[in-house]
Amino acid sequence: MKTKRTQDRRKFLLAAGLGGAGAAALVAGVKAKEAPGAASVEAAASADGYRATEHILKYYKTTEV
Amino acid sequence: MASIAPIRVERPLAAEEAARGDYYALLARFLSRPADGQLLASLAAAGSLPEGSRPELARAWNDLVAAAGAIDAPAAEAEYDALFGGVGKSQVSLYAGAYAGATAVEHPRVRIQRDLAAAGLAHHAPTEPEDHFAALFDAMRVLAVGGAGRTPAPIGEQRHFFESHVQPAAPKFFARLAAEPRAGFYRRVAALGQAFVVLENESFSLD
Repeated sequence: MKTKRTQDRRKFLLAAGLGGAGAAALVAGVKAKEAPGAASVEAAASADGYRATEHILKYYKTTEV
Repeated sequence: MASIAPIRVERPLAAEEAARGDYYALLARFLSRPADGQLLASLAAAGSLPEGSRPELARAWNDLVAAAGAIDAPAAEAEYDALFGGVGKSQVSLYAGAYAGATAVEHPRVRIQRDLAAAGLAHHAPTEPEDHFAALFDAMRVLAVGGAGRTPAPIGEQRHFFESHVQPAAPKFFARLAAEPRAGFYRRVAALGQAFVVLENESFSLD
């Protein structure tokens, strides 16, 4: 069942060390101070060719810990 | 033509999903340009991870933290340039197409571009090929935790992107980088990337 399988995935990731107490914050603490490079993705063009450019930096600002 | 604005439901991210996003962001950063003094200092000051049920990730992280404290920015830049720099003479390609097998009919870049477009994403630097690993990992970050104007993707969509574009190339790339005699600091980056991608691949098979 989907719910059961989702739980399995979650348990697996947590047991493997992702998102455990402190672990995520360590990586986030390093990452959040770093601006992304040019090789990042952005919201794509809509039907009329307009390119929405929410700069990825804004995202990083919201994730700083 | 008027479009219907989707209703955005904001849910707090589960800790393990946020952590996935952080690892993808970090790997994208390492591969996009040389590690600078700030990144090295942040890493060197980071604590060590306890070993979980799968110790590879924590070991790789702890090795990387130790290595970050033992290298300065000019040395990291020199190593990055020696490994990845230069046109046509780099030791290790940063492009997935070099590992996944690029055919003349449909280069991996074409498929990546198509899947990015389907996810509402486009490459930030149009001059840079889409199969650069930094771009692939950044795309995975956005799919995992949201950003660039979109919410996190369902796991099925994440799995599709990962299995189509990351899994066929990233393990070979990290193995190649780890085996490169000139890699010191970046051998640690490769070990972290390898451990993380293995876990991602396994986790997708559980959902």
